Amino acid sequence: MNGGTIEAPTIEYALLAPMLLIFGAAVVGVLVEAFAPRYLRKSIHVPLTLLALAGGFLLTILQAVREGVPTTPAAMGAVAVDGPALFIWGIILVLAFVSTLLINDDEQFVAQAAAVPGSSDEEAAVRHGYAQTEVYPLLLFSVGGMLLFPAANDLLVMFVALEVMSLPLYLLCGLARRRRLLSQEASVKYFLLGSFSSAFFLYGMALVYGYAGSIDLRAISSALGTVAGQDILLYVGVALLGVGLLFKIGAAPFQAWKPDVYQGAPTAITALMASTVLVAAFGAVLRVFWVALGNLDWDWRPVMWGVAILTMVVGAIVAITQTEIKRMLAYSSIAHAGFLLTGVIATGGPEQNQEALSAILFYLVAYGFATVGGFAVVTMVRDAGGEAGHLSRWAGLGKRAPLLAGIFAFFLLAFAGIPLTSGFFGKYAVFSAAVAADALPLVVVGVVASAIAAFFYVRVIVLMFFSEPAADGPSIAMPTVGTSAVVALAAAATVVLGVFPEPVLNLADQAASALFIR
Amino acid sequence: MGETITFWVLAVVSVAAALGLVFSRKAVYSALMLGVVMLSLAVLYAVQDAPFLAAVQIIVYTGAVMMLFLFVLMLVGVDSADSLVETIRGQRFWAIVAGLGFGLLLALAVGNVAFSPAAGMGRAVSGRDGNVPALAEEIFTRHVFAFEVTSALLITAALGAMVLAHRERVRPKATQRDLARTRFAGPQPSPLPGPGTYALHNAIDMPALLPDGTVAVTSINRVLARHEMEEGYAPTDPEKAALIKQVLEKDAARDAAPVEGDKPIQVKDALQDEGELRDEGEPQAGTTSRKENAPQEEDGK
Amino acid sequence: MTTHYLVLSALLFAIGGVGVLLRRNAIVVFMCVELMLNACNLAFVTFARQHGNLDGQLIAFFVMVVAAAEVVIGLAIIVMIFRTRRSASVDNANLLKY
Repeated sequence: MNGGTIEAPTIEYALLAPMLLIFGAAVVGVLVEAFAPRYLRKSIHVPLTLLALAGGFLLTILQAVREGVPTTPAAMGAVAVDGPALFIWGIILVLAFVSTLLINDDEQFVAQAAAVPGSSDEEAAVRHGYAQTEVYPLLLFSVGGMLLFPAANDLLVMFVALEVMSLPLYLLCGLARRRRLLSQEASVKYFLLGSFSSAFFLYGMALVYGYAGSIDLRAISSALGTVAGQDILLYVGVALLGVGLLFKIGAAPFQAWKPDVYQGAPTAITALMASTVLVAAFGAVLRVFWVALGNLDWDWRPVMWGVAILTMVVGAIVAITQTEIKRMLAYSSIAHAGFLLTGVIATGGPEQNQEALSAILFYLVAYGFATVGGFAVVTMVRDAGGEAGHLSRWAGLGKRAPLLAGIFAFFLLAFAGIPLTSGFFGKYAVFSAAVAADALPLVVVGVVASAIAAFFYVRVIVLMFFSEPAADGPSIAMPTVGTSAVVALAAAATVVLGVFPEPVLNLADQAASALFIR
Repeated sequence: MGETITFWVLAVVSVAAALGLVFSRKAVYSALMLGVVMLSLAVLYAVQDAPFLAAVQIIVYTGAVMMLFLFVLMLVGVDSADSLVETIRGQRFWAIVAGLGFGLLLALAVGNVAFSPAAGMGRAVSGRDGNVPALAEEIFTRHVFAFEVTSALLITAALGAMVLAHRERVRPKATQRDLARTRFAGPQPSPLPGPGTYALHNAIDMPALLPDGTVAVTSINRVLARHEMEEGYAPTDPEKAALIKQVLEKDAARDAAPVEGDKPIQVKDALQDEGELRDEGEPQAGTTSRKENAPQEEDGK
Repeated sequence: MTTHYLVLSALLFAIGGVGVLLRRNAIVVFMCVELMLNACNLAFVTFARQHGNLDGQLIAFFVMVVAAAEVVIGLAIIVMIFRTRRSASVDNANLLKY
């Protein structure tokens, strides 16, 4: 009996500063929501959110430059701030910053979420210029969860981070200003499927805990092979954990939510989900499968092969039949998850792992920027009732707005992986890592899927530039400073990464050089 | 021995209740069944040396979560039963097959593992003041970061509920004075006539008659009339049926008319809602029902 | 006894899973998800006793916290869509289609 004294835990506040800053800003945002008068709220929230994200990014860089990469987990072994984690934090914070510019910009969000769509209450709320400014703190909470998710060093923290990341997103999905019914439906679907999948993650976690007696990733890794007669617990547990994680990245048997949610959600939130959530979820997948289950790779690799092939094929083929621009981008995001999974499979010795990891990190940067840019363009092409979603409405856009259509075509080419765009080097890096790991058939499937995907990207480009514009075609919204900044930034990033990828590749190499903390 | 008996009794109860949750048609029964499962699990936790969790299970799950479920069920309508129509062909069959297969797989997987005798909680708790202090020490040392991060979850939950449910008043609240003024300025200062009471009928759905023997239009209960029309119970008296139909059509036409544009908001607007409320007699259907009943088809396509 | 408890938790988990696939009422679907989470907790508590460490009980505690937050958000979303559509059936939510 130690008389109720508990030794105080040590928490490395400096290491965790970026995450703590984001959470702190979120809490301040909630206070602003409570105490600031309505007309001031937005003008406080926007700088607060942007400053927090920028500050987090600076702190991340400072951490990497000044103190180097730590080699032990922080906060009593709960969080592993290692090279890949810092790199992923950087990507997430930059992409979230860019998405915030998009969110800030536009009347994308509902005036009053509690007012029934089409009711006189809603009209009155719109007329009074109400806005649901809670979006900003919710966004910050979600970003905080995204930072924690890929840096979690035990499964419990990973589960909590998964929920911190997802819950605000479930809400944000339902807050679109136009087509509210669609948006609310997307929110319900995302929520039900998301909580279903997190139940699977949790049961998997229980079985793995039952096998290893611990939830610490390193302890699980060292327990592999030492426990006799309970392998089946481990296998079923890993499979269920995998279901939960693969759902979040939208890999093939679990991809059904992606097109629906991406279509229904406000486009700025779609941009956020498509870029940052994918980045964070891949970080977590890598941590679970490489750190905890790295010694089990002979067992999970065949299954992952199947998943990767299925994901690439489904993403590429179903995308062809789509007639809605956001759904098409959603299927393209599914296909990209498949391409990224080929990198996850490319494990081997430390050097091989390092190559694969750096390839994945580079791919995530390239894909993230192109995606945010693509969705930013989607917000600008409008009909009377909101964004012009149907592809036929995009016909002849190249003649009405050549610059915008040109930029969008460029993003599509980057998705397709045409040389001189960022997508090319991303795909090249991932596929060459996979070849080095003797996964040639997978790469062949990947190349074929890329070709199929390129077909429908080119089809959209042809539609934009070589068809006659409809007489009542969509109008191009006069872009505000935020949106044009997002488009310009994303386009610049895509060009620079495509023409001059060296610095970022080197940075990814450096981040990957130490691999994950084990 | 005691544990074995407890286990078998509660295992049977909880599996039966879980099946009841899945297969009972009424949502409220499902909720009560879930409560039964949660309570039996609480006892199983207590049996397995987890007294703290047993208490939390009862307080948080059965006390808070189940109550929330029941509140929402009452709000949504207790009598909401599932339709038995399959929307995806064969879906029910395949769901059951998949579920059975999955359950069998899981049960076999965990059933076939040879466990050594349980270590028991004695070692983990030894040297501490028991289960609760031991758990507290774990929470506040090794897992303190996860514990702190859950606060983000709770704030998100509170904020989310506020966003989706809290409606700020856009129009000024009508005072008693305003209400009285509109009432006397309106066409009907007196209360609406009540339903008809006759020798043969004494029901709220019978319209009243005016002194000249014609039907008093204002006494028709719109909610009941609409319901009866939809369900096909038109009144037998053709004259009355035609009248009711006419009233309903007029209502429908009023709803379909486009809402006036940039008219400044006046107290009158606010009162209109409350006037309708009085008309229809059913508070829930008052302010918003008509607009909600017509789903926004144009939204989708 | 460990095996017994685990089989019970597996059964409850699977029944919850079947419920999610079978039922059409969003609230009941969500209740089935809660059943699955409860089954997970039973497994955690059982494994905690099996291994003689407190981690399992601790995780179960965290799961309860998370589930409570999830329930709040979930029911708020369901009420929101109910107010729009006057129906909580997932079948009526069919605007998003291929």
